[in-house]
Amino acid sequence: MKNRIEAIRKERGILQEEFARSMGVSRQTISSLETGRYNPSIMLAYKIAKYFGMTIEEVFIFEEEESK
Amino acid sequence: MKTNGRFIAMIICVLIGAVLFGLAFAGTLDEFWSGMGAGLMTVGVLRIVQHFRTRNNEAYREKVETDIADERNQFLRNKAWAWAGHLFVIIASVATIALKVLGQEQLSMAAGWAVCLMVILYWISFLILRKKY
Repeated sequence: MKNRIEAIRKERGILQEEFARSMGVSRQTISSLETGRYNPSIMLAYKIAKYFGMTIEEVFIFEEEESK
Repeated sequence: MKTNGRFIAMIICVLIGAVLFGLAFAGTLDEFWSGMGAGLMTVGVLRIVQHFRTRNNEAYREKVETDIADERNQFLRNKAWAWAGHLFVIIASVATIALKVLGQEQLSMAAGWAVCLMVILYWISFLILRKKY
């Protein structure tokens, strides 16, 4: 699943460390999320979307092919 | 409360390790127990050092707590255990056949039983988890 975390975070001038602390996860987790190596749980996805003041669909891009 | 409990458990771990090591050193117990004692003491001492480090260093405590609670780390820990289980079954299965061919009947049987035990544990875990989730 692709996401816009890195773009949104950079747009708002938030550092990875700062963002990770706010989400209660490690910086490596944020890095893995941004590169698409790791997909978050629904709870973390919700938390991230809420932090940015957006909906989950606006941050995460669901791709049909991946579920097949 | 939970941290204090863990700290006491670590002290007990060091004490048991020291007693085992001492008894083995005195000749009352064999080498197996001296190794066990040394292992317990090492683990206990390392945990106690970590306990004091987390108590006195706010930044380090925050890092440790984040690493423990981090969902990716939890995912990786579970994945690593799953991989370890799979690899164990594969290695033990190969060893069962190899040892049988080499004429090591008892070792072959032990490896075979280990595979059976792992498969039984897997199915029990699967059934329990299926009811839970």
